[in-house]
Amino acid sequence: MAKITIDGRDLEFEEQLTILEAAKKLQIKIPTLCYNEHLDPYGGCRICLVEAATQAAPERSRLVPACTAPAADGMIVVTNSERVLASRRFIIELFLSRCPESEQIRKLAAEMGVDPNGQNLDVVGQYLLKRAPKREATNCILCGLCVRVCQQIPERYALSLKERGIHRRVTPPFEKVAESCIGCGSCAYVCPTKTITIEEA
Amino acid sequence: MKLKPEDLNKIRERMKSTSRLREAEGKAKINVHLGTCGIASGAREILHTFLELVEASGADDVLVTTSGCAGLCKREPMATIEIAGQAPVKYVDLTPEKAKKVFEEHIKGGTVVKEYALAVGSERLG
Amino acid sequence: MGNYRFNLLVCAGTGCVSNNAFKVKTVLEKEIEKHKLQDEIQVITTGCNGFCANGPIVVVKPDDIFYQLLTEEDIPGLVEEHFLKGRPVQRLMYTPAKDEAPIPKMSDIPFFGKQQLIALANRGLIDPENIDEYIALGGYQALAKALTEMTPEQVIEEIQAAGLRGRGGAGFPTGKKWEFCRNAPVTGDSSVPGGNGDSPPAAEKYIICNADEGDPGAFMDRSIVESDPHALLEGMLIGAYAIGASHGFIYIRAEYPLALERLTQGLEQAREYGLLGEGILGTDFSFDISVSKGAGAFVCGEETSLIGSLEGKLPEPRVRPPYPAQSGYMGKPTNINNVETWANVPHIINRGADWFSSIGTDTSKGTKVFSLVGKVNNTGLVEVPMGITMREIVFDIGGGIPDGKKFKAVQTGGPSGGCIPESLLDTPVDYESLVQAGSIMGSGGMIVMDEGNCMVEVARYFVSFTQEESCGKCSPCREGTWHMLNILENITQGKGQEGDIELLEKMGKYIKETALCGLGNTAPNPVLTTIRYFRDEYEAHIREKRCPAGVCKSLITYSIDPENCTGCTVCAKNCPVACISGERKQTHVIDQEKCIKCGMCYSVCNFDAVRVR
Repeated sequence: MAKITIDGRDLEFEEQLTILEAAKKLQIKIPTLCYNEHLDPYGGCRICLVEAATQAAPERSRLVPACTAPAADGMIVVTNSERVLASRRFIIELFLSRCPESEQIRKLAAEMGVDPNGQNLDVVGQYLLKRAPKREATNCILCGLCVRVCQQIPERYALSLKERGIHRRVTPPFEKVAESCIGCGSCAYVCPTKTITIEEA
Repeated sequence: MKLKPEDLNKIRERMKSTSRLREAEGKAKINVHLGTCGIASGAREILHTFLELVEASGADDVLVTTSGCAGLCKREPMATIEIAGQAPVKYVDLTPEKAKKVFEEHIKGGTVVKEYALAVGSERLG
Repeated sequence: MGNYRFNLLVCAGTGCVSNNAFKVKTVLEKEIEKHKLQDEIQVITTGCNGFCANGPIVVVKPDDIFYQLLTEEDIPGLVEEHFLKGRPVQRLMYTPAKDEAPIPKMSDIPFFGKQQLIALANRGLIDPENIDEYIALGGYQALAKALTEMTPEQVIEEIQAAGLRGRGGAGFPTGKKWEFCRNAPVTGDSSVPGGNGDSPPAAEKYIICNADEGDPGAFMDRSIVESDPHALLEGMLIGAYAIGASHGFIYIRAEYPLALERLTQGLEQAREYGLLGEGILGTDFSFDISVSKGAGAFVCGEETSLIGSLEGKLPEPRVRPPYPAQSGYMGKPTNINNVETWANVPHIINRGADWFSSIGTDTSKGTKVFSLVGKVNNTGLVEVPMGITMREIVFDIGGGIPDGKKFKAVQTGGPSGGCIPESLLDTPVDYESLVQAGSIMGSGGMIVMDEGNCMVEVARYFVSFTQEESCGKCSPCREGTWHMLNILENITQGKGQEGDIELLEKMGKYIKETALCGLGNTAPNPVLTTIRYFRDEYEAHIREKRCPAGVCKSLITYSIDPENCTGCTVCAKNCPVACISGERKQTHVIDQEKCIKCGMCYSVCNFDAVRVR
């Protein structure tokens, strides 16, 4: 039997678990965006970062993504320290800066105590929400769920990620209507910001 | 042919007579450094100059070879000249004209061209 | 030289070594121990004396007796006669010519004299397009030794004992990495289809050489592959034997066509000799290598992105664990090492872990190759023992700053690294010390900067690089570097605001903590170290709208000094926007409204009359 401690509460486990799954068993909520329990974890959005340390070196904790980090025997996890909360605020501020109109992001931000209108934020939050240059409006947070679901569930590979860095975007191959798309709607179903919609043909 | 371990030593012995002047019957060896730095600054032209000079002189005891970058990329094109019985000499900042002078005075005449030479000897291994 | 009765200086120049100087040294040390003289006599290796025609050479100090043309057979008699009985051996002695050589020796020139070659041992000596020349200098002997005299476990032990750490930048202990992969359980289906390019055969374990070398200004790996491709191949063969891999990949960036050509030739020649393929050197070890070209993505230098690219997928980093040693290429245990790491392996097997670990510092063994570039006199490739100071590299080996300019900083570690200022020039170059100074070793790029470099612009340049190369998977790197770049661009254009320095510091720290892979984790480093050591330059840009180094175009003005101007009209004639006016022999004037800061007038003026402020 292995044991992991999250926010001071112990969980004994035998099977292979991620920190996120272990937290769920303890009913400890960790926010997620690019995670879906039916798909392989991606570790891309970084909103689920938590502090993890080993028994041997409890002061040397690192930030790890809960959705992918395996729970290990003797691990000590904290999900609500100032370090974790500060990193969460940073990530949601980045998303707010990118997608200021997204209802879901604004709601998640408010739940975290980050005012979507930019009041009472630190110097980084102030910059991201007030001074940062505006870009083309989008609600896509590049969580990759649509691409991943199309690969894993219907296995149609009708969506992909094109270009890298700030120019990255979701498109069907060669920006044309994907021949392999079967209209199952999985992509729209999993999209956390409802950026993808289904229309009648 | 597929080598066995003992074949490695046989190749070493065979190469001594061509690449190492002490055992060879050659008199001189010209080694032009052809790394990207050398090639970019004109080392291929230096190589051709030496090849032409050797052919024109009719000498059959002068080896012309190439190797990679010698490390001091700033001073390319470089060539290392070795006369049998003496330490190798590194020439730097070569041009076809300087190469001609080196050939005449050092290879044929046996006197190092001081103003074009950087140093004698080899590098240190760890 | 210590309290030794004698010091024996064994020449370790490449000429002497190819005539067995190291073997002579080993016998010398054994004989000295045999006669219990090791407390009285010290044996050390030195650089080339220039007596290459007479090597191997041993110089006995303080007597200044030179012994020449030594063979292993000469040594027992020499030790007995000279050091036990006190009778120097005439027939082995050599009298060097009295007059000083007119040209300095290689070992007298600091650029060469302070270097110690291991990975670059064959540089400038062999034709890389001829495998026989590599063999002539002892090539593939280490492979033969490993295959016929050592077990795979013994090979791994030797690499561990040597203390070799990854030379690609992370510095992870190589022997440990090999052990993880060797011990990893073989997973699943062996009939996995091949990946990108020529379908390689399915294997249970793989090894990979990371030859992507993406850091701007770094060309160590290129040089090894161009000048000595077999050093890499031999290292990989030994590693594959140790780990139990039957197939390997070399992932080389497409921007290295000459290196790729020489590598391809080397592979063909190795295959002809049966050094790759089935039953190597008459043993039952089989191994071959496929070459895969990069396609212009810096992120592929990150190992999991590299594996993704090899598999034909998008290059983006994967979550770790599982690490490639457990699950890498096609889900199989995979060991990835950098070119320079592989190139060190044959030497460790040939000469032993004790020798390798005697070079360097306690935690950083061996040597490191650096590409020394920028504002320094001797630009080139240098291989130095770990622990040498930055000052020695820049001023002794590098020959100092050209044109009488003043040293400002040396940037190490590429876009993941930082700047070492003058106050820290005595920092020893090893993994830990560089991290303490706020930088990293990185892959070995070393860019020297002088007073004419603007440190804010340096930060902006590196962030623009990482921003361009970010894969885009995680938001801290994708969005964060873009924001940092915008802030830096504003500062260099005179639009910086009070508080921007604190903003950059905080944002940089957040990005470092939250990014997914090394590219994002280290992208803020150039910003953070330049702020740490050159805050005053940032402040000048922000508060005074001034660039002290005279680099940022929006913040500098070109003007003509009436004291020096002779009215020769050369500047006016060359100005591309015709913004300089003046009569012949009268002081000329630049129209600031029209000036585009191209610097043409500055470069054509023969009277030093153009001022840049």
